Amino acid sequence: MPNLASRLVKDCLCSMLVVSICCGALLILLASCSANIPLQRKAQQTEESVLEVKYSIVCVIHGDGDYLYHDTSGNEYKADEEALAGAIKVAQQNPNAEVFIFHQKPKRHFLLLFPLQDGEFSYYRNGQLITNELYWRDSEQSHFEHEVELYHHFRVDSQREIVSMFLYYGHEIPEYGGAGYDASYPNRKFTIKDLTIGLEDFTRDSARFDLIILSTCFGGTPYTIGALGPFAKTIIASPENLHLSYFDLSSLARLELRMRDGDVPTFAKRFAHQAFDRLTTDIQTAVSVVVYDVDRVQEFLRSVHTIYTNKLTTLKGETPTFLVTIEHCDCAELPAYMLPTMQEGVDIFYRPAHFGRSKQKQNHSGWECWRDIIP
Amino acid sequence: MKARIAFGFIIMMFVLSLPVIAGGKGELQKYFNDAANKVKATENASEKRTILNESLKDMSKVLNVVQSSPLISKDDGIAIGRIKATLQENQDELTGSNGYQRVSDNQLNNYSNYIVQNMEQAETITISLVALLLIIILVVLLV
Repeated sequence: MPNLASRLVKDCLCSMLVVSICCGALLILLASCSANIPLQRKAQQTEESVLEVKYSIVCVIHGDGDYLYHDTSGNEYKADEEALAGAIKVAQQNPNAEVFIFHQKPKRHFLLLFPLQDGEFSYYRNGQLITNELYWRDSEQSHFEHEVELYHHFRVDSQREIVSMFLYYGHEIPEYGGAGYDASYPNRKFTIKDLTIGLEDFTRDSARFDLIILSTCFGGTPYTIGALGPFAKTIIASPENLHLSYFDLSSLARLELRMRDGDVPTFAKRFAHQAFDRLTTDIQTAVSVVVYDVDRVQEFLRSVHTIYTNKLTTLKGETPTFLVTIEHCDCAELPAYMLPTMQEGVDIFYRPAHFGRSKQKQNHSGWECWRDIIP
Repeated sequence: MKARIAFGFIIMMFVLSLPVIAGGKGELQKYFNDAANKVKATENASEKRTILNESLKDMSKVLNVVQSSPLISKDDGIAIGRIKATLQENQDELTGSNGYQRVSDNQLNNYSNYIVQNMEQAETITISLVALLLIIILVVLLV
């Protein structure tokens, strides 16, 4: 009996030793995939291919949240995976573009113990994949630190005029608070302010983006458009809920044909129109897509800045209990926002929900605000 | 000896690779998607209405139980309350009560899609894992 017991202990120790060796090997392997990987691929680019780049697209896809949705046949999709597939297609179908795709993934562990990198970066130039690598996202406040680093390492330093775009696909970006935006990092905060810090770094050596596409719910508020304004000439956003099937990316393919004249505002309207048409085909809830001409909306934004900021300041100080008594609404429903400049610089594509209390609402001002719920 | 080492190795690998509960937030959406599939699978309008009504009622019942549980935080209680209010509005529209116009028979398939899409846009993201697990367990037990 003692013999059997000692054999069992010995076997167990042997198993543990094997596992430990395996784990050690894995640790070495995983450590070798750390964020500090040398970035050498740039040298592989020829001068010729660099000259051909006329469009630069940065696409950030947030995938660390509840991104499940169903089509009308009941099939399940993950919105971030769909957006990623769309972005890759755009990258492959643009021979004159460079496309940066950042897929922000949930925290994962290998064998429950070893953290895996939670970001995946792909860089395409002239329709070809130049690099695909994993990276670590910011561990505390989310300021796109590593995304910015990769962007500046790979971007084409061209003397030519490049049409630049920044796309963000994800949930509504909070205007205050922001804890829990990343489902797997409940304490990490992400707000519009954090996005603007990232944008500031993305645009540090260049002019503002020609176009920002904010594919999230409630992106069309005076605060959000005002905050993103310094980094873009034109913004496409949804002032109301945006279903997880998101803005259709297919109009970004073959930009050399679709944007031959380099007229970004006209292209933005076409993009918004197509995204709207695509959403209204299947979605029963309200659909709103708005194109904001950043320079032309400034007067309205200046006029409502104080009132909107005051509302946000009030909300910041309130407890979650209070938040039951407020809701999003069309700014046009609040007299203080009903100014002659409200429609200046906005192109609105809106269709009300087919059901629900707001199905009779036929128009939207293009601006979303907060209001108190009247009991 | 080798066989026992291999066995021990497999057991340890199995324990170490037990899947982490991955949030389960999609379960609410899946629940209503299943109901929508059932609605579309039947031709009879009154059956469609019953399926929708029952699924809304059952989920409200589950949310009531979860909301009153001592394990639920105040914040979760608020978020659950908002989802409950949405479900109540869906039910009112289905039956034509509380000022809503009753959803017509030929619109029931679209209405089932509306409920799914509305739930996909709802604030489930703000509910904690504990609350979601409770909801999932109770859906299995009570529904």
